[in-house]
Amino acid sequence: VTVARFARPVAVASVGAVSGLGFEWRGLGAALAESAFSFGEAAALKASHPGALASEVPAIPAAFDAGDARQHKLMARGARLAAVAARRALAGTTLAGARDGVGYYLGVGASGGAMSDLLAVIQASLDGDHISIAKLGDKGLSATNPVATFQLLNNFMMCHSAILEGTGGPNGTFFSRGAGTVLALMEAVCAISEGDCLGALAGGADSALHPVTWAELLREGYAERGLVPGEGACVLALAPATDAEAPIAYIDHCSIHWAGGPASPLDLSGLLEGIQSFTDSASPQPRVDLVVLAPWGDRAREALRAFARSSFPEAPMLDSTARLGDALAATPALAWAAALDQIACGAARRALVLSAGIDGQVGAVVLSKDAARRGGLQ
Amino acid sequence: MGGRAYLRGIGAFTPLGKTWPEAARALAEGQVAVQKVARFDVTGFPCAVAAEIADVDRGEAERAGDRRLVFALAAAREAWRQARVEVQSRRLGVFIGAESGRTTFATLLRLAAAGGGQPLFDHAMFGAEATKIASEIDALVASPAAVAAAIAGELGAEGPVQTISLACASGSAAIAEATRAIRLGVCDAAICGGVGADVDPLMFAAFGLLGALSARGASRPFDARRDGFILGEGAAMAVLSSERGAPEVEIEVAGIGRTLDAYHLTAPDPAGDGAFRAMRAALLDARLSAVDYVQAHGTSTPLNDAVEAAALRLVLGERIAEARVSSVKGAMGHWIAGAGALGFLCGADAIVTGTLAPTAGLVHPDQGCELPHILGEAIQKEVHSALINSFGFGGANCSIVLRRAS
Repeated sequence: VTVARFARPVAVASVGAVSGLGFEWRGLGAALAESAFSFGEAAALKASHPGALASEVPAIPAAFDAGDARQHKLMARGARLAAVAARRALAGTTLAGARDGVGYYLGVGASGGAMSDLLAVIQASLDGDHISIAKLGDKGLSATNPVATFQLLNNFMMCHSAILEGTGGPNGTFFSRGAGTVLALMEAVCAISEGDCLGALAGGADSALHPVTWAELLREGYAERGLVPGEGACVLALAPATDAEAPIAYIDHCSIHWAGGPASPLDLSGLLEGIQSFTDSASPQPRVDLVVLAPWGDRAREALRAFARSSFPEAPMLDSTARLGDALAATPALAWAAALDQIACGAARRALVLSAGIDGQVGAVVLSKDAARRGGLQ
Repeated sequence: MGGRAYLRGIGAFTPLGKTWPEAARALAEGQVAVQKVARFDVTGFPCAVAAEIADVDRGEAERAGDRRLVFALAAAREAWRQARVEVQSRRLGVFIGAESGRTTFATLLRLAAAGGGQPLFDHAMFGAEATKIASEIDALVASPAAVAAAIAGELGAEGPVQTISLACASGSAAIAEATRAIRLGVCDAAICGGVGADVDPLMFAAFGLLGALSARGASRPFDARRDGFILGEGAAMAVLSSERGAPEVEIEVAGIGRTLDAYHLTAPDPAGDGAFRAMRAALLDARLSAVDYVQAHGTSTPLNDAVEAAALRLVLGERIAEARVSSVKGAMGHWIAGAGALGFLCGADAIVTGTLAPTAGLVHPDQGCELPHILGEAIQKEVHSALINSFGFGGANCSIVLRRAS
């Protein structure tokens, strides 16, 4: 178990979320409970996979956008979505006035550029039926789009929005195949608790709608087993509880559990005990009254559902991917947003968000309306 | 934070030696690994030289599927052997700085062919072929996480496994993460470090087009004639533990500092504020106001070196005179995701041996880059503390302070 240990309570001051449902985090929780809806055809996959259904972020309105056209050209899709979410998260918080001291931790997936850029280089470098390095040096270089470099580096998912917003504190981009996004939250919470930064942004951004990503998911049989590709970003603005004005909720608990590894079935037998072992018995907490699931694929979904039903039979259960599709590294963070929405509207006081990816690790995050010293579960 | 992180073992796979002692000896002798690229034809490329590991066992590389894995596993094994740490598998973490691996040209060609092979990418055709094409993309190899997963698998580490992708600051950020994890009690021991395998046609093209590579073909950190960096490759790994070992010289990771420039995608903030804040944070964390040795980021690019030199003078003030400064990139090139970890090993070696390698290629320190440089040949100096800098594309900065444990 990897667990965030924090002495000072950390509050969620604000949320920025971009998803297939739009640009508001409020309403996400209620939307997950809807039973009647349908996914639309993915515009990003229309040319390569016509008819593929997806949860796709709509056109970004100018009022919500971050950066100008030139900067957008430099961004991979995940970076663009992260920039929108980060701007919305920072707006209205007290962190906006002290950005040099704001940390930024993001779970990211594989970065991707335009297929036409790849094709141009290869076309120019062909010698008969194989790629010639000599021709790459001769003709290929002039056909290479230097912008692609900015799209392909994983850390640029975060750096674009950090530059746009001026966040200068400690930072990290964690490659996520499930747990990396939870790790980003853990790092942010620890950094704030230790006084390394005044506050921090933490979340995840990704898209499953790149043609190559979707091709890989198809190959692995995820589509056959019901995975709907999604995309999005969610960034939480976090601050010490003492500094946050009207916080939405508090981070009670954040941990990552080893549950078997990529190739084996998820073993969640020790998960509840693992989380409960961090309960502060001197500070009893309210019961968990909401469970939000963020599974990557059917294997994770089934395991998390079974765990939630048996461990929290009285708590309502929401599945973020049921309505938002599978947005890979963004999915855990979007699930946090849905839980926070339910807390903000009074439908829940204490929510457990469970995420599981293809890396065989399970993330557990407890969000609470009430400030706690250090929480486990009851 | 309560715990302390002690350095228990180091290992490296470099262009100047397949183990750290070999590499350290070569550095102390002033050897330089930069030479004409041998693995592929560099005709027409903006730069024709690199610090390349030319004699990698081809069979081993093909079995691994990725040069990163060959480098990183070798370095991790060496560090692990030296460390002789006893730790439960679930209390052993792996923290690796890495970027994506490289898809083969054959796969790229298949991707292009699936898109119709015409000037315009045919998405419909690609979609029809997609599943077949995808079967040729080995995500386990191309993924940044492949390196940490391979090391964890080989050493049976079942604690936290993290992959940090922060461009040139990845390796040192991974060591910083490992330090934090041990201090916080998340794990008892950690294998950490970084790997870069960017002596590769596509990276030559990308960095060349950005104008970042030396057109003169020389790595000259802080020199008046510097004109860009030279790509290098290799892996550097360390084992940290909450428990002290019994080496002759005990070393503690005493300070870490991480900041973002939030200024530009490739250029540093000319005021050096992000670099300054990272160094200051690391020194504050270590409760030090001066150090005996600085392993500078020193890339050999005109702007980076001047900014780093100014930030160093600012953060150490008059006490800069107590330090000696060098950059290993003159001899080993720039390992990108592995660079910070290599610098970390140089800092540790300085404390253990007192041998401070010179900055290869530095002959005429530039105006604006005035620092107590180590020129020409290695020097001997008693070193109690060392500052290691890494500043990445995108603006991520990481500074680490190593100190002789008391």
